Amino acid sequence: MPDLMQAELKTQTHAAEAVREMTYAHAIREALQLAMRRDERVFMLGEDIGVYGGAFGVTDGLIEEFGAERVRDTPISEAVIAGAAIGAAVTGMRPVAEIQFMDFITLSMEQLVLQGAKMRFMFGGKASVPLVLRTPAGSGTGAAAQHSESLEAWFVHVPGLKVVMPATPYDAKGLLLAAIEDDNPVIFVEHKLLYRTKGHVPEGYYIVPLSQSEVKREGRDVTVVATSIMVPRALEAADLLAQEGIELEVVDPRTLKPYDAATVTRSVCKTGRALVVHEAPKTGGFGAEVVAEIVAGEAFDYLDAPVRRLAGLDVPIPYNRELERTAVPQVADIVREARALARGEY
Amino acid sequence: MPVPVIMPKFSMTQEEGRVMAWLVAEGDIVEKGDPLLEVETDKVTMEVEAPESGVLRGVAVKEGDVAPVTAVIAHIVLPGEVWRAEPVKATPVAQRVAAAAGVNVGDVPAAGKVRRQDVEAYLGKVRATPAARRLARAQGVDLTAVNGSGPHGRVQAKDVIGPVVEEKAVQPVSAMRRTIAERLTRSYQTIPHITFTVAADMTAVTDLRRRLNERGDGATVSVTAVLVKVCAWALGRQPLVNASWREDGIQLHEQAHIGVAVALDDGLIVPVVQNAAHLGLAAIAEQVQDLTARARNGRLQPADVQGGTFTISNLGMWGVEQFTAVINPPQSAILAVGRTVKQPVVVETAVGDELVIRPMMKMTLSVDHRIIDGAVAARFLQDVVAALEQPDRLLW
Amino acid sequence: MSYQTVTDESEQIAASGLTPEQLLQALRQMHLIRAFEEKAEALYALGKIHGTMHLSIGQEASAVGACLALRPDDTILSTHRGHGHCIAKGAEPPLMMAEFFGKEVGYCRGRGGSMHIADVAGGNLGANGIVAGGLPISTGVGLSLQMQRTDRVCLTFFGDGAANEGAFHESLNLAAIWRLPVVYVCENNQYAMSMPVTAAFPIRQISERAAAYGIPGVTVDGNDLLAVYGAVETAVSRARAGEGPSLIEAVTYRWRGHSKSDRQRYRTRDEVKEWQARDPITRLENLLVAADLFTAEKLADLGAAARQTIEDSVAFAEAQADPDPATILEGVYA
Repeated sequence: MPDLMQAELKTQTHAAEAVREMTYAHAIREALQLAMRRDERVFMLGEDIGVYGGAFGVTDGLIEEFGAERVRDTPISEAVIAGAAIGAAVTGMRPVAEIQFMDFITLSMEQLVLQGAKMRFMFGGKASVPLVLRTPAGSGTGAAAQHSESLEAWFVHVPGLKVVMPATPYDAKGLLLAAIEDDNPVIFVEHKLLYRTKGHVPEGYYIVPLSQSEVKREGRDVTVVATSIMVPRALEAADLLAQEGIELEVVDPRTLKPYDAATVTRSVCKTGRALVVHEAPKTGGFGAEVVAEIVAGEAFDYLDAPVRRLAGLDVPIPYNRELERTAVPQVADIVREARALARGEY
Repeated sequence: MPVPVIMPKFSMTQEEGRVMAWLVAEGDIVEKGDPLLEVETDKVTMEVEAPESGVLRGVAVKEGDVAPVTAVIAHIVLPGEVWRAEPVKATPVAQRVAAAAGVNVGDVPAAGKVRRQDVEAYLGKVRATPAARRLARAQGVDLTAVNGSGPHGRVQAKDVIGPVVEEKAVQPVSAMRRTIAERLTRSYQTIPHITFTVAADMTAVTDLRRRLNERGDGATVSVTAVLVKVCAWALGRQPLVNASWREDGIQLHEQAHIGVAVALDDGLIVPVVQNAAHLGLAAIAEQVQDLTARARNGRLQPADVQGGTFTISNLGMWGVEQFTAVINPPQSAILAVGRTVKQPVVVETAVGDELVIRPMMKMTLSVDHRIIDGAVAARFLQDVVAALEQPDRLLW
Repeated sequence: MSYQTVTDESEQIAASGLTPEQLLQALRQMHLIRAFEEKAEALYALGKIHGTMHLSIGQEASAVGACLALRPDDTILSTHRGHGHCIAKGAEPPLMMAEFFGKEVGYCRGRGGSMHIADVAGGNLGANGIVAGGLPISTGVGLSLQMQRTDRVCLTFFGDGAANEGAFHESLNLAAIWRLPVVYVCENNQYAMSMPVTAAFPIRQISERAAAYGIPGVTVDGNDLLAVYGAVETAVSRARAGEGPSLIEAVTYRWRGHSKSDRQRYRTRDEVKEWQARDPITRLENLLVAADLFTAEKLADLGAAARQTIEDSVAFAEAQADPDPATILEGVYA
């Protein structure tokens, strides 16, 4: 049971140190710092990541330590930010590019999808493109339709790309370091609302391996597969339902591509019920992939209820605060759905 | 408008009528006044006439069936009219499912409106979760016979197995476990067991054991050791209890070799006190103690467990008051021994019945009925009880 | 358009700084490109190779002249019309042909084909199926070379069509502000598929756009090997010296259609003939003979030798094994 061992190792590491709390944004910054100190080839480029410190303050202070050559402010040129990262990666550097809002990644699509993702394959495996593209996704900031996108499913659909979506400060740091070490192009999707969340983050360099889903909370009644911001929401829902005697098992895929479906399968074999939750719109979302993996494999014979999806509505993110909240799953929605599943109401 | 044919009321007290025969077939032309059907009431059989001229349609009550009086049992369609059967009440989904399966929705039994699940039940289809289906397969349960507790009557896992139990991984078994399983299954399936329970007053044995153990010059004399001695003696008096069933007859055994069941962490083993009838209690106590210790340490030799002709299984030390044991083949009997419990007992004295407190021990003898009948078993137990209650009768 | 006029061939060659052997080698490469593409076209017609292909016949001088200014450790990025660039950068015709046949030993193990042919070890980061697709990447390569403190440069070919893509603007601007060692070579072959440059550009020369980025821009006769070489050499030297990127427009003409399915309704037969009269290979041969470097007889054998090389390449390629379908997923991820 590699996952259990993993969890155990992590627990031991935790126990060995004084508990060290920091925000998700700070954890990402620390990962960038450690990676750049460790490997001269690592550098950053993006809009306003230098003295400004990044639109969300993630890269604050890095230009002071590493200088303007390794923390490169670019013009507002998303296509060439992606392309420059690809060109640098294929010739020996390990760039970490930032696209200021995931919405703007639409302007980088050609380079990411048609160039960076395929280059290794098109060239017969004779090149590699070790780059990370960090980008904040998600709604909840009142920024409306063009600054709130959750587009991870697009990239999951592109062979050659990896897609990572951390939900906790611990995972953000460990996964980012793993992504930077990886020899493939990795889309690293952060969440704006998570930046200020706090959690335990060990000091020093550590890796959370890519493609390992994690059981964030164990429970016997319903498996809740949640990504990004939906992980803390699912955990909160689990706390509430525990008072009713309903135990949720919360699984965080963490890496969406290549996706570790086995952990979810094991969990569903145990609970017999699954609820898949993400912020992105439901239709064609990553949740469909999760559901398909559940019903196509071993877990099918253990299902004791229809598999349910809870996702964003098929609507652009609206401006009005109440409409914005309505557009994506909230804790109460997860509680309602999971409770109905647990009670056999579906 | 088609004219309804009703079940007529022929008498004041009549509540229903039975259709004996339709005299006109569905779709045939009738003239007003023609006999249409025969109806039987509790008193008489009557003919019912056609109320109008036309075509008989929509016969709703079959021959032999009963309808309440005034119920519409058919229609006469007048010339120039088109007969449209009374639409069966059914949900659109039910109608679609029925149509897809080629079933007349009117044939589907339902309480009120026909719903999808009624059609599916009629078709023999069962709504069940994959987990319920898996469990039903594994347990040979017919899902159509299970009431589903889920939405739309869906059968869920808990409906098949009761409250959901967590399934643990299958444990591989040791060779010993497998041997126990095979032997006991064969025993229980091939030997017709009958059992007899008696209680013995253990006052004298308790006293005897205290005296012997206080001397402290040998092995501790346990109840089991006493029973080995007692049974060996009693077997000598009832040779059929010390025997084996064979294809060609009953094998009587010359000697009584008494097996003593010893519980281990992962199973059970039965070392044997050989030739117990010829050993003194002290020697038996020593052997029982030695065999038990070596059984627990895994140091028994093959010879230690071979040749038993009778077995004693004592669970008294575990607090069990009474139980039934499975015969250890090829033996013909096994004695299951419970704990000694102080109980009120009525004893007869010279001055009449008296209630006293006595340490009582229950024993259950299982015997192979192919060899041993009730009377033989009873005599054996009488001897055992007598020996326990008056141990001095035996040569210790 | 006005080009530099040359009166004395010997002077011109001397001014270029190229040796006779270099010039002979350049001519050989131009023949090789021509022979390769003519053969590829014939094989396609015979149904021996499939897919699509974009031929650069008539544009050999720009490919060879530009690469003549590079060192083996410099990097190029190419276009969908990239066979010439590949050969000019030093690729082996047998391995190229094997890729055309989709063979395992081909440059891309049969995964890329004509439109993605790359010779990573030889410094060619690939043809590209996307117009302007290579421009941002080349900017990144320049960044990489600069950050690694090398004096290597990156040269990227693109067509007149690519100069109207947004990526062109983003790439040149970024390279300019960061003074990256990139040489942008625009092969203006007059048509973006069917769209003529006269309709697609409101300016006379594409190189005029360099002014917008504050970098040198020059337009040369793309059918004149020496002119292309000279302009690129200047740009490469500048890049090596850390002075930043340059934009070079090589004006040329594709003799064939855009791809195999082009009915060429957008241009006249006369126009094609007019440009064929300015065949870059003949021009270089005439120059070398006029400058008394080589005799016409010596040069006469080069075309036949190139064709023989290509025949041998085809024989090699046809004899190779196809990729094993079991290996299909190899190379998707590192």
